[in-house]
This record gives sequence, C-alpha cells and structure tokens, in this order.
Amino acid sequence: MAAAAKYNRGNPAVKRILQEVKEMQSNPSPDFMALPLEEDIFEWQFAIQGPRDSEFEGGIYHGRIQLPSDYPFKPPSFMLLTPSGRFEIQKKICLSISNYHPEHWQPSWSVRTALVALIAFMPTPGGGALGSLDYKKEDRRALATKSREAPPKFGSPERQKVIDEIHEQMLSRAPPVPQLLTNETNTETNQLPASDTSDEHAHKAVEGVNTSGSSSGSIDNDLPRPDSESEIAQNIVEAPAEGVTNHSRTNTSRESIPGIAPTQLNPVVEIQKPKHDRLLTLAAFGLTLAIMALVIKKFLKINGLAGYIEGKF
Amino acid sequence: MGGGGGGCSDPVSVELSMGGDYYHSCCGDADLDLRAPEGPKLPYVGDKEPLSSLAAEFQSGSPILQEKIKLLGEQYDALRRTRGDGNCFYRSFMFSYLEHILETQDKAEVDRILIKIEQCKKTLADLGYIEFTFEDFFSIFIDQLESVLQGHETSIGAEELLERTRDQMVSDYVVMFFRFVTSGEIQKRAEFFEPFISGLTNSTVVQFCKASVEPMGEESDHVHIIALSDALGVPIRVMYLDRSSCDAGNISVNHHDFIPEANSSEGAAAAEKPYITLLYRPGHYDILYPK
Repeated sequence: MAAAAKYNRGNPAVKRILQEVKEMQSNPSPDFMALPLEEDIFEWQFAIQGPRDSEFEGGIYHGRIQLPSDYPFKPPSFMLLTPSGRFEIQKKICLSISNYHPEHWQPSWSVRTALVALIAFMPTPGGGALGSLDYKKEDRRALATKSREAPPKFGSPERQKVIDEIHEQMLSRAPPVPQLLTNETNTETNQLPASDTSDEHAHKAVEGVNTSGSSSGSIDNDLPRPDSESEIAQNIVEAPAEGVTNHSRTNTSRESIPGIAPTQLNPVVEIQKPKHDRLLTLAAFGLTLAIMALVIKKFLKINGLAGYIEGKF
Repeated sequence: MGGGGGGCSDPVSVELSMGGDYYHSCCGDADLDLRAPEGPKLPYVGDKEPLSSLAAEFQSGSPILQEKIKLLGEQYDALRRTRGDGNCFYRSFMFSYLEHILETQDKAEVDRILIKIEQCKKTLADLGYIEFTFEDFFSIFIDQLESVLQGHETSIGAEELLERTRDQMVSDYVVMFFRFVTSGEIQKRAEFFEPFISGLTNSTVVQFCKASVEPMGEESDHVHIIALSDALGVPIRVMYLDRSSCDAGNISVNHHDFIPEANSSEGAAAAEKPYITLLYRPGHYDILYPK
C-alpha cells in the first residue's frame, strides 16, 4: 500500500493500523465494513447495518473514522454521514467505557470493537448524549429506507469513490427494510385495552407519554451480538448517557407495552376528574351564594328594611 | 487530520490527535500526561542524582522522613526520579531492568526473560486477547532488550537507553507492554489475586484489570508489582519512605522484596537479591542505586 510507504517511518501506529486493516479483510463481518483511504491510513470510511429487529433494520449508515497519530493510545473518533435519527451527522460520536472509568479507552480495543459497540448503541435511547438524537420510530424507519437509495456525498472524489464502493457492497448483503414493521406496530397497539377502534390514538398516547424512550427500549433485548467482541463492546457506552445500561433489556415488546399502558391511561382520567370536580364545586358555590342572597333579601324584607335598601335605587 | 502526513511521520507529535482532544472536552478525559504533575518539565526518567538531593527536598519536612533518608543513605547513594504520571512504576522498572542488562551483559538472563515473554503472549492469547492488539507492545520491548546487549549493529549505550526511555513512543509502548503482562498474569491467576483485589476495590478481577491495570496512567499497587515480578520472573525491592515508625526511638526504613513465585520455590534462586530497587513514596516510585 502506498500509504504504508509514506508513513512507515518507525511509527508503530501505522503498523497497528495496517494489522487492523488486514484483520478486517480476513474476517469480514456481515454487519459492517471499514477501510482506510489510500492516501491516508489514519482516515477511514465505514458503513454499518442498522441492527436487526430495530427501526434501523435494513438501513445502511455511512461514517468516517479518524485515528489519532498516537493510536492505539488514544481512541479513534467516529462520525456518521448518513442521517439515522439516532446520531447527528458530521458530528463526532462520543464512545467510551462506562461502568467504572468513563474516561478510558483501551489500547487492546480496535476499530472493530468500536464499530460493534456503535451498532449496539443504535437502539438505545440517546439520553441527551452529545451528538445523539431521539427521533420517533417512524422517522427513523423512513430514514432507514432512504439510506439505501444513495450513499452520502462527502469529501474528496477519492473518498467518495470509497463511500460508493462500500455502499454497493453493503447493499448487496443488507436485508431489506422490513415491511412488516407497520403491522408489528399494530399488533403492539392491539395489546392495549380499548384500542380496537382508536389504534392510532392509542399508539400516539404510548409514544407521547413515553418520552423517556421505553418504546425503543422494548427492543433492547435484540441488541446484536455479532461476534466474540460483543462482550467488550458492552462495556463501551455513549459517555454522558447514564442509565442506558440499566435499561431493562429483558422485557419483550409484547410484555412491556401492556405493562406501560395502564400507567399511561390512568393519568389522563385522573387529570380530567379533578377538573370536572372543580367546575361542579364552583357551580354549587355559586348556587349557594345566590340562595343565601335571596334568603337575606327575604329576611330584610320581613323586617321592613327592604324599603331602605330599595329606596336607595 | 489534513496535515497528518507531516505530523504522523514524527511519532512524538500529539497535537494532531484530534480524537484525543475531542475526547478531552467531551468525555472529560484527563490528559494522561498532566495527571498528578510533579513538575511540568520532568522527563519520564530523570538523571541520576545523589541521595543528598532527596535530603534537601525534605529539609523542612517531617523529622521521621529526614531520619529515614539518613538511614537510606547508608545503603544507597543515588536516585533517579520518574515523572509522576501514573506510569512511574513501569517506567522505573523499564529503565532499571534494561540498565541492569546493559551493565551486566547477562545473556542468560535475557534468554530467560525472552522465554517468560513468550509465555506471557500465550497467556494473553489464551485469555482471548487478539494478537494484533498487543504484539506491537511486546516487540518494542524485545527490541530494547536486544539493543542493550552489546555486539550487534543495533546495540545502544547508556546514553541512548536514557534517551529512548524518555522518548514518548518507545517509553509508552514499553509501559503498555508491562501493563499487558501484568493484566495477563493477574487474570491467569485470578484465584490467587482475587482477595488482594477485592480488598482494594469492589470489582472483579477482570474489571480490575480493565480499569486499573491496562489503561495508561493508572497507578500501580502491590498487586501490580507482584504480578509483573511473577510474570517476568524478576525480583524487585521496594524501599518505603513514609511517615510510619515502629517505635519512637527506633526508626527503620521498611522494605519489601517481591520475589517471583517460580524462583522462590527453587530454593537456590530464593537467595537471589533483587537488583531492581525502587523508592516508594506514597503514590510514587523512583529508582534507587545501592552503594
């Protein structure tokens, strides 16, 4: 490789990166593709497949990787170029290890480890992490469909060529965006009580109340575990998104939706009830006042003072 | 990294590591070199200084420390300071060991440690580490080891050894080599190390290695020293310069010899005196030179 000759001045980062390229090529993953640009092996292009059983399924998401000159001591940085509704485009994604020492990247990790982690992140709630987005499922599905149409336009013609090549290869192996998904939504909402006639309304209620992302969390159990490194990948978490790992992964969508539904519907009833009560109280109070006024007037009339009051007019 | 071409041919340059800078601001990543700075200009491994410089440092300090330094002076006459960046134990060990080989030209010892290093590689592979993630660190240490043996084209002298220890690339790669070796040893003998680790932190052996052994800048404790000493079969003496004292009138400098597992059972080798002596002050290791 021409790049090797250019950089190979005793910089071990180059040797390491070349090893990773070789390893990627000899153990290709069906879930992602990544390769360096010919003119600069510290600059990579990659594409990942949207994780299965998520609203990203079938999507092809392109991105850019920058490796620091002191790689692997410092982490690679990742940036998506395809809109996904999960990560902002052309903004660096913050990957780190969570659990105990969030600031540490480990030299024993690789671009592969990081890509596996990135795929695993997609179905998790963004939780306000830098560069993360929390689009609705429908919008994400629409973006997944759109992502297949054409690769993003980015960078030099050489880079564009790499992007286009990656896109073609990914497209040939990516499963289609599942058409079942809309039906699936219906079966989910059908689990809700009293949803037979107002499917759409109930569905909106679920999404509306559920801003914390439980709706997307319900598919967390299907996080991809594509290879042996997934265990390491589990330790990598979007840095500021705390509680992501604590998120229940055991609920299946069928279990979680009915479980959520009662708590969502009850507040609506509870809010309406006090409103109604207050109106009645007000009316009763008004009526009581009117009656009181009438009684007082009568009382005054009886005592012959009515004339005085009436005389005022 | 548009200007990567120029910057990357110089392995010491870090200003182009955009990833690093980014992580610094986004994830609160502490710049490893700035951790616990002892002196901004202190090299990774300093020049040899007379022990009197240590006495000068504590001139207005605790009388116990002054007394201990005086006692140290009876056995040791010089020290070499290392940068307090959390890697000081490994850098002290690196320089001390390589300097020892350079001075003794102990070919048998080099052959012995090379076998140990091969075993460490196997340990890591058995633990599921992917070879390309650690092999570079190993090969750079082996390069240094071969360089200090004289009679080759690539042989180096004492001055060059010091220079290499101060070179960020070589130095960090060797530190990382030791970290991998230490981590592998701890995980291989998890049962043995578990009680030590659960006493230190609340984590499992694997978590401990991931959080406190493998990352650069993580300080070393007894556990790390035992593991490294055992894994490479190199005895280490640590002199403790702290405020502890047994009796008011009877001050002595505590020390601990870390004798490798395998050696201690061999009887004859157990008598071997550590040729690496480190001076420990709470949170920091320097190199000590006996008289």
